[in-house]
This record gives sequence, C-alpha cells and structure tokens, in this order.
Amino acid sequence: MKQVIQDSLSLLMLLFLLAGCSVEPKPIAYGAANCAHCSMTLSDKRYGAELVNDKGRAYFFDSAECLAAYVVDQPELGNKAAFLMVTNYTNPEELIEAQKAYFLQSEALPSPMGMNLTALAEAATAGEMQQQLGGQVLSWDQVLLAVQNDEKFK
Amino acid sequence: MKNLSNTFILTCTFILLLLAPNAFGSTLKVCKTCRYTSVKQAVQKANPGDTILVSGGVYRESGIDINKPLTLIGQNNAVIDGNFTGQLLTVTADNVTILGLTLKNVATSYTRDDAAIRVMGRQNIRIVGNTILKTYYGIYLQNSEKVLIKNNNILGDNTDRNESALGNAIHLYYTDEVEISGNNVQGHRDGIYLEVVKNSQVHRNTSHKNLRYGLHFMFSDGNTYTYNTFRKNGAGVAVMYTRNVRMEHNTFEDNWGAASYGLLLKEINNSVIHHNLFRRNTTAIHMESSSRLDIKHNDFERNGWAIKLMTTCIEDTFRLNNFTGNSFDVSTNGKSQYNYFENNYWEKYTGYDLNKDKVGDVPYRPVSLYAMLVEQVPPSVMLMRSFMVNLLDNMEKVLPSIIPEHLVDKFPLMKKIDHDNDRKLTQVLR
Repeated sequence: MKQVIQDSLSLLMLLFLLAGCSVEPKPIAYGAANCAHCSMTLSDKRYGAELVNDKGRAYFFDSAECLAAYVVDQPELGNKAAFLMVTNYTNPEELIEAQKAYFLQSEALPSPMGMNLTALAEAATAGEMQQQLGGQVLSWDQVLLAVQNDEKFK
Repeated sequence: MKNLSNTFILTCTFILLLLAPNAFGSTLKVCKTCRYTSVKQAVQKANPGDTILVSGGVYRESGIDINKPLTLIGQNNAVIDGNFTGQLLTVTADNVTILGLTLKNVATSYTRDDAAIRVMGRQNIRIVGNTILKTYYGIYLQNSEKVLIKNNNILGDNTDRNESALGNAIHLYYTDEVEISGNNVQGHRDGIYLEVVKNSQVHRNTSHKNLRYGLHFMFSDGNTYTYNTFRKNGAGVAVMYTRNVRMEHNTFEDNWGAASYGLLLKEINNSVIHHNLFRRNTTAIHMESSSRLDIKHNDFERNGWAIKLMTTCIEDTFRLNNFTGNSFDVSTNGKSQYNYFENNYWEKYTGYDLNKDKVGDVPYRPVSLYAMLVEQVPPSVMLMRSFMVNLLDNMEKVLPSIIPEHLVDKFPLMKKIDHDNDRKLTQVLR
C-alpha cells in the first residue's frame, strides 16, 4: 500500500516537473522592478508586494495598497491569482500570503502609497506594534475594502 | 492733523526698530575654549529667542533636541558629526533657524527614519545654507507649516548603500506653505519627496544622481515647480494623484535607463507644463490617466520617446512645442484619442508651406506605425531605422490605417519656435 502511495506521489511529482513553468512567488528585484499599479520603482524592502497569476507570471508592487488597488481594479486577475504576497515588515526578506497576513494601519508608519499599511505575519506582533504605535489591525479583506473606499485610489 | 499723526507713527516705528535687537535675546558662543564646548550644552542653557554661534571645529554629538525658539548659526566650517549614533537635530519648538552648519554621518535606521534635521508638528522653521553629508534622511519634516529650506547642499553616499538603505534628501510629509529653493541634492533615494504637501514652491534646485527620483510628489495639490534641474536620476520627476500643479522652466536631462523617465505623470489633472527642456531622456514624458493638462512651449531634444501618451489621458493640449532629434515623437497604446495637438514644430515633418504663413499645408501625424509596433512588441525596437520600417512608416503616412487618425497636428509649424520671441507669431496665428 505504502509503495503504491509513494509511487503515485513520485508520479505526480514527475508530472508537475514535466508541466514545466513552476507557479511560485519570485524574489523582488528592488531598484529595478516597477510597480504594476502605479509605475513607481520599487525601492523600500519593507513594503514590496507581489501577485503571481495562474500561469506563473509575477507582477510586482511597491506596497500592499497598490496590490490591493490592482486586485480591486481587475477582479478577474485577483480571483485567478495563484499567489498574493506581501512583505513581512519584521523580516523584509520574507514574503507572506496576503490572506493570512495582519495589516497594521498606523500613522506612525507611513507606507509608500499613503495608506499607512504595514503587513505582519503574526497576530501577536501586530498586537504589540498596535499597542506601541496606535492605529488598527486589518485583515486582507478589510484592506481591499479600505482601498475601494479610499479617495486617492479612485 | 494728518501730518502730526504721520510723524507720530514714524517716531513709534523708529523707537520700535531701536528696541528690535533686544527682542532677539542674547548670544551664546560654542567653541573649544568657550564656556560651552558642546552644542547640546548651549541649547540646554539657552533661553527662548537666543542665538547660538558655533565656531569652527568638529563636535561629535547627536540627539540634540531644540525645544525652544532659537537661532543656531555655524561659523567658519563648524561640523556636527553624529558618528552614526542616531539623529542629529530634532526640532520640537516653533520659530527655529538653523544656518550654515555642516551635519554629517547618520546611519540607516529602518524603524526610526533618522535624519540630520527632523521637524515634527512645528511652524516658522528656517533651514538655510547647511551642508549635510552621508545621512540616511537629510531634512525630514512632518505635520509642519511655514518652512523655508534654502541653499542647502545635501550629498548622500550611495556607493555602499542600496535603494532600501537610502532615505530621501529632503522629505516632507503633511506639511504646508513650504519654500524649497536653491538646494543641491544628490546621492539619495529621492532628491526631494513631497507627500500631501499644499501651497508650496520648489525653485532653482539641482537634484541629480539620485537612485530613484529627482523630485517625487504624491497627493500634493496646488504647488509650483520652476527653474529646477533634474539630471541623471533613476527618473527625473514622478508626479502622482495631484491637481493644479505648475511646472515651468525646468530642465530634465540624462535620465537614461530601461525604466527611466524625464517626467512620469499618473493621475494628474488641471495642470500646466510650460517652458521646460527635456533633453536625452529615455522617455521625456510618460502620461497615464492624466487629463486637462496644458503642455506648451517645451523643447524635446534627443529623447528616446518624447511623449508616451496612454489612451487613459483625455483633453490634454500640446501647443507650440519643439520636437527635435527624438527617436519617437509621440507613442500611444491604442486608437482612441481625445487630445489636442496644434502648432508644434516637428523636425520629422516633411510637408510644405505654399502660402508662406509659416504653417505647413499638410497635417502631421506624429505617431508612426513603427512606434505603435514597438509599444505592442517591445523587442521590435531592434529593427529601428531599418529599410523595411522606413518603408512601412511612409506607406502609413500616405494611407493612415493603423495609427490613431485623430492624433494629428493640423497646423504644424515650419520653423523651430523661439519661445522668447514668439509672441508676435502667436498673435498672427490667433
């Protein structure tokens, strides 16, 4: 039985490999990539974001609010996306899934596009930072709503 | 009677003038052999309204909190060296002047955004004639108003720091009524960065060799930018989500690179772009979702693309501009066009002027078929100036089918416009 499972698993792996282009988040090239929503050059490592579509093509954004605005503008792209990634503020090398992230919205931490959103991986960290800096903690869906209702992005 | 009251007013003014020096308070000196040997010490001891004179020499200090109205003056090369131990001057009072100091060595700090001079929630601040070297942020203002930033020289060190490790030379956030003039800024992320700044003037600055933008502003309505030079930046100027901007007499030069622009406009409305010079930029002006712009009397010289006009732009007017030596004069990404071109000088125009009214008799369509092709298929740029491309372009000129029909200058000028002496000509044209 075990053997069968292993075999089928390895077969699946093989199929995946044969499928060619892998669909996964790509590292963000700061200083070279331009934001797909606002055309600005990505330059702040703490705020970069990324959308990977179902074909494996990556779109880069300079901030979570630009990613949100892009998804709000083009729902079909947003719904079909394989990954929506944002940068974990406490560890700028790490991309985390937007749906699982906690967003601290605080005036003490201005983000690149004026919505003051900082993405964090842990609820506890978000809570601590909120204690220190004030503001509110939002989920990804609340961020989408906030962007939708934001004057600047209309 | 009238005479008497006049005399009275004059006398009063004179007496007040005589009393004026007393209003400035006393003067404290800082030097190696003075009573005060550190700037921090003098600032702590000073009374509101005093003047502190810092004489030549290097003062190794940081974290100086200016918490009362003071005038801080550096003389014969006074240097405050933070030695990478944090922010240098923090202004927490109104009516502060910082003049003629050299401030240097502030380390990158992602959580605190350390600067050489930081002002928070204050007014009537003057920062004049300082030299700021090797800092993370140079001058950082937030939630303030009535600020003068003049004749400062801000040199970042971008040799061993990447974009993320650099702050902006002059950074304004939610700050109104600012004059930024005569500064020289280089080697930072953005030379001058304005976010939510209203009613401000940016004049005669030179911003060059910055990693991202020479000047960058967002959500900053009603500001004026004149006589600035933006050279060799990642991109010259980026303007976003803003209304009522005046950009006049600026020079955008040598902003070359795969994603470089002289001027990047996104969602800009009701603004004026007059008398600017765009020379040797990859794309001189890139326009997206921008409407009701008046683009007049500009010179576009030797750019890759002079204007990239996306179809999201409407009701923009291009008049009396010179287009010389650009690889592409105008490029667009679709057929629909609601913009207006009139009386520009196009070097590529091959028409004639039989009635000698200085206006060509044949309309000119500045978008070539090849420009459209490159917009759709960027790698086709390698066919530039090939025989086939020229053939296609000329066919298209005779029988327009693919290029936007309404993107046309019906009255192209025959001679290059001399912007200073063209008043007569415009009268004739009217």
